[in-house]
Amino acid sequence: MKNEKSIKKLEELGQKTLDMINRMEQPYFELPVRSLSNTFFDEKSKTIKMGNKMSKRYFLNTKHTRKYAQTISIAAELKKIIKEQATISIRDLYYALKHTLKNSKENSFENQGESDPIIEDLEASLGLLREELNLAASTKGVISGKLKIKDGKDTIDLSKMGSGGWGVPSNVEPDTIEIKDLDADFVLFIEKDAVWKRFNEDKFWKKHNCIIITGKGQPSRAERRLAQRLNKEFNLPIFSLMDADPWGFYIYSVIKRGSISLSYSEEKLATPDTKYIGLTISDIDKYKIPPEVFMKLSPEDLKRIKDMKNYPWFKNKLWQKELNLMKTKNVKLELEALSRKRIRFITEEYLPDKIRNKDFLP
Amino acid sequence: MMTKNVSKLKEHSIAEFFKKNRHMLGLYGKLRSLTTIIHEFVANSIDACEEAGILPEIEVKIVKIEPNHFEVHVIDNGPGMDEKSLGKALGQLLVGSKFHRLIQMRGQQGIGASGCILFSQITTGKPTKVINGHKGKTVYMEIGINIEKNTPIITNKKHINKEFKGLAISAEFKEVDYQDSKQNALEYLRRIAIANPHVQIKFLDPNNKLYVFERTTDEIPKKPIEIKAHIKSVDTDTLITNAKYSTAKTVINYIKETYDRVGDKFLKDLQKTLGKEINLKMKRKELDWDKAEKIIKAIQKIKTIAPRTDSIIPISEEHLKASIINILKPETLYVLTRKPTTYKGGYPFQVEVAISYGGKSGRKLKDKTIKSEIMRFANRTPLLFDQGACAITRAVNSIDWKRYHIRDFDNEPITIIVNLSSVHIPYTNTGKQAVADEQEIIDEIKLALMTAGRAISHHISKKMKHGLKLEKKRMFERYSYEVARALQTLTGKKEKELLPKLKEIILKRLELEDEEDSTKQEKENKKEELEEDIIDEEEQTNKKTPKITKNKDKKLNDFFKN
Repeated sequence: MKNEKSIKKLEELGQKTLDMINRMEQPYFELPVRSLSNTFFDEKSKTIKMGNKMSKRYFLNTKHTRKYAQTISIAAELKKIIKEQATISIRDLYYALKHTLKNSKENSFENQGESDPIIEDLEASLGLLREELNLAASTKGVISGKLKIKDGKDTIDLSKMGSGGWGVPSNVEPDTIEIKDLDADFVLFIEKDAVWKRFNEDKFWKKHNCIIITGKGQPSRAERRLAQRLNKEFNLPIFSLMDADPWGFYIYSVIKRGSISLSYSEEKLATPDTKYIGLTISDIDKYKIPPEVFMKLSPEDLKRIKDMKNYPWFKNKLWQKELNLMKTKNVKLELEALSRKRIRFITEEYLPDKIRNKDFLP
Repeated sequence: MMTKNVSKLKEHSIAEFFKKNRHMLGLYGKLRSLTTIIHEFVANSIDACEEAGILPEIEVKIVKIEPNHFEVHVIDNGPGMDEKSLGKALGQLLVGSKFHRLIQMRGQQGIGASGCILFSQITTGKPTKVINGHKGKTVYMEIGINIEKNTPIITNKKHINKEFKGLAISAEFKEVDYQDSKQNALEYLRRIAIANPHVQIKFLDPNNKLYVFERTTDEIPKKPIEIKAHIKSVDTDTLITNAKYSTAKTVINYIKETYDRVGDKFLKDLQKTLGKEINLKMKRKELDWDKAEKIIKAIQKIKTIAPRTDSIIPISEEHLKASIINILKPETLYVLTRKPTTYKGGYPFQVEVAISYGGKSGRKLKDKTIKSEIMRFANRTPLLFDQGACAITRAVNSIDWKRYHIRDFDNEPITIIVNLSSVHIPYTNTGKQAVADEQEIIDEIKLALMTAGRAISHHISKKMKHGLKLEKKRMFERYSYEVARALQTLTGKKEKELLPKLKEIILKRLELEDEEDSTKQEKENKKEELEEDIIDEEEQTNKKTPKITKNKDKKLNDFFKN
């Protein structure tokens, strides 16, 4: 059965608790600290990782009791779901567990704000991805290209998905999604859906032998996991195509290095080899992008640039130059702005040119 | 024998004056007026019963006729009154057997009941109905006031063939109102019951709800002894005013007869201090403002003996305790009576306090929240109004209640009771609902409250800890059901078997916490003991009891000690 590993880990958790009770000791959980203070950038793997700090959650510490009970309740419910071979969303889980406590008017959970962080606690302490616990996040990503996917009993040909592309499911783990018959030289990870549609309509993936994928804004875990799998299992380079603004740069860094809140799972989600292909401020001069499509930086943008200049993975000459240029010119740029030149400029001239010249940022 | 009977009835002032200055009778505001009316009648009833040695049983009924129009009935089981006195007492203002006597007075100065009759007459045009059961005869009559002459108008007098002893008054009033408030007649009667445990009261409110306050003792309080004003407490105005009513021929005799603690030695010293300027043997009529002022100044310089204190009869700790337990049913109670002392160099007074915590203590609001309550009494009479202006309130609020484990004084179920007994209560104004800021009085109240606070604090902190512990235990138990259920899913071990183990672990944990707590508590106790030593020292220096002067008259000394 799928996710037997997960069931085992959950049962181990239960057994440890039972042992403590049999010893007449108050049970507790030992959980990794999931805050910024316990997060660091690992030079070796070049990803964001979680440190070793642990904290104890006691059953009989009045500040912990509720959370303790919630934690063990979630663990039990997860085992049930996995055994039933169902997949539910984290919202479903919240409702499944919500009830009034015996002899009281209090509820076991008041809102998802209580259950969601505990799910993350369990992921982190058990070393399991949400997907391995049969929890599904809603996904929005789409992908097109010359490859086939075997999802359960269905085989899907991603070159025949039409104008919509294939919707990335929430669980793209190898034991759920098999990638076969891949024929591509690289992966293009595009920030926005509208731009992805441009590339899909123009059959860019066919003409340039690649795979195009988008997370429709900030990508969910599934899209990042899939990109990582394509990179690690098939050695495909990943090129990031984002707006030339702090938000675009940030999304790029999440794909490349991982996110702080999910630092415990970044090993499976981050793709350190990702390169930034565009859009950059330097492109303005290279491609003579006219000033009428420029946008001014907001105060938040300026603050973001300042923060990013300090990120370890942006501390190289090229990125520092790029960030400074954005600050000095006080300008940001959306990908759609390239339509100013002509509609197909981005797919027929800009991107092919960039690939040919290997004009990327690390 | 020059002992003058100071209890002459003094009649002066006109009903007209009070008609225009209603507030002087305490009749301002519709709610306050009704409460004041009840107070006047009930106070008189209690006084009459006490003087006759009867355990008072009072029945009060308020009937709503229409908005702002009520009928008040008060019946007592007193001795009744002889008819002549009744007319004068109810139908004439500023008449009463208590005016000019420095007796500990429960009520006002005899303006009370007749003021109410006047008010009834002014607002309704009707007379007050009275049934008087006195010395075997029961008589019905209607009493009004001739406003110009300030004399009673008695009409419809008839004998009734019914056995009745006591006084029953029935009067209608307009411009009054009864509401559910902490200053209404019900609250007044409740507090009367607390401060007068020998009184039984039945009250039927305008909604026909019956309230009964049973007595908690059969002891009638002793009659306070009438005393003359202490010579040191006299001011210039009083010296001159009283001189008018004296019959003595000379000033020196006037002073000797009228005031307390005036002996031959005192007068000798006084004359010496005055020197040749003023001769005390002058004729009484020669006393003018300047001379009076100089005499008063000189008096302050001369040593006198402290006054008698058997002019004050407090409620007593035993009785106050019983009545509070009966009415407030507290969880924790501490009652304390301070020793009598004086203020302004001569007026005796005594403070009694009680701190009642839990049970029905405090005031429950409509939204079920509980607020603290201060009950102020002057000579056993509840002071319901002008709380903000009262020295008692000030004294209570100046205490640091946190020190006694009362974290949030305003919102705790606590009733503070303060009874000030004195022959002369210093009120802030003629409304007589607030005690004036006399430092000695405030200090006495504070000291009493601090002592009571300390006594109560141990109980409260114990209770608090116990309450917290119970809450904790309940919370752990609630969640242990969740844990047991989850563990059954994860390990297969049955909930039924897990729950008793979890319960044991909880108990073990709480015991451990108790041990840790008690070592903490021991340390705190040691700290508190040290602090108390410091407070006792403060008390010693603050106490302003006038010391007995080196009076070589042994007999007087012995008398005072008793």
